[in-house]
Amino acid sequence: MTPDEETLVDARGVVRSFGERRAVDRVDLRVRPGERVAVVGPNGAGKTTLLRMLATLLRPEAGTLYIAGAAIPKQSQVARAHIGYLGHDPAVYLDLTAQQNLELFCDLYGVPDARERIATALAGVGLLARTHDPVRTFSRGMAQRLGIARLTLHAPRLLLLDEPYTGLDTQGARILDELLGDLGEREAVVLVTHELDRALDLAGEVVVMRSGRVAARRVTAGVPLARFRTDYQELTA
Amino acid sequence: MNPRGRRQYLALLRKDLRLEFRTRETVVAMGLFSLVIIILFEFTVGERIGNTTPIAGGIIWATLALGAVLGVGRTWVPEREQRVLDAILIAPVSRLVMMAARTTALVIFLLGVQVVVVPLAVVFFVNGTSAVNLLLIAGVCLLADACIGIMGALLSSMSVFSRTRELVLPVLLLPSLIPVVITAGGATDAVLNPSRQMAEYRGYCLFLAVYAVIFALVAYATFDYILDD
Repeated sequence: MTPDEETLVDARGVVRSFGERRAVDRVDLRVRPGERVAVVGPNGAGKTTLLRMLATLLRPEAGTLYIAGAAIPKQSQVARAHIGYLGHDPAVYLDLTAQQNLELFCDLYGVPDARERIATALAGVGLLARTHDPVRTFSRGMAQRLGIARLTLHAPRLLLLDEPYTGLDTQGARILDELLGDLGEREAVVLVTHELDRALDLAGEVVVMRSGRVAARRVTAGVPLARFRTDYQELTA
Repeated sequence: MNPRGRRQYLALLRKDLRLEFRTRETVVAMGLFSLVIIILFEFTVGERIGNTTPIAGGIIWATLALGAVLGVGRTWVPEREQRVLDAILIAPVSRLVMMAARTTALVIFLLGVQVVVVPLAVVFFVNGTSAVNLLLIAGVCLLADACIGIMGALLSSMSVFSRTRELVLPVLLLPSLIPVVITAGGATDAVLNPSRQMAEYRGYCLFLAVYAVIFALVAYATFDYILDD
């Protein structure tokens, strides 16, 4: 297979097992710049495992996977520079301040003008006044907002989001919505979620997974939520 | 190391030192544990043997090795407990840079403990020594800590995904440190015992340097694969 460098995710027949159980079974997924893809499905469908493979945190056992044209796992380090990953947790150190956390990730990603970028990111998530406070003193929602700031620091082209709204307060959810809405045609998003309405709102395409496989793909444009919900229940029954 | 790697290395090291400065969990735990072992040695051995100078080197390094296991066990704990591991592993950082930062942090923590524990152990177990001897022992500490730091960073990273890491880590680490403990104990003994020659000290130090190089080569060959799933 020849990787297409423009395609941000090019997964073909990827497989991943845990023990005897195949968590992801021959899944194909292509995501190009500007696309927003939501992955939905019941618990244990393989959504998070698939996302962790796209994030280079898990190696595929079979199939081929290219992220931004880089072969995984061989060129994982190249691919990682393009990825922004946010899971259920904000993934920041509780005993460091907001500034220290973001400084660390600026250094790891080689972000230039780190101070300005950090100030902008913190202002963007409404945490500028808490710049020098340890994260341990933050509420869950505030910490998750800091996680969003961390996510945007290095301007990733591929955003991988695993239930990112978990723990977010209303303000945080609005900030994340705005962030996703402001993304340009250069960036792509893969969102794993249980919330069908959000998947329908944010994504141009929804991938329904069941038992590790892709059960269906749906273009969301013009699809009413009620019909999508019925469709989803039939597919995952 | 290229400029980007150096920036990443310094950032990871600064993070480890900041976390330790803020929480004081690792150095304090290692220090207290080492002090308790020294006191145990004093009551179980020191009270029964009149002159403990000939065995002081062994006591010091057995103590420091056990304390080091505690410190190495704390490695990756903030990442696991605060769920930052994914964010660190997903960053475009060479695993070797991660290992180098971990190793340096461990060496600094070990030296922080040894600054207190070694002089105290000398007071307990050695019949008179000089400042020069303490400086020579500091040299042994640096070399031995490099070995412990490298092996500690390597093995703690190997066990980071293991559910039984608290059991696995000491079982792997202590046997791998046996040559280091024996050699560092020998070097310390060569300094503390007037009957021994400086040539012995230099020989032991050379061995420690060779161990450090071997451990570094093993780490270099394996570390890139260890943290990748």
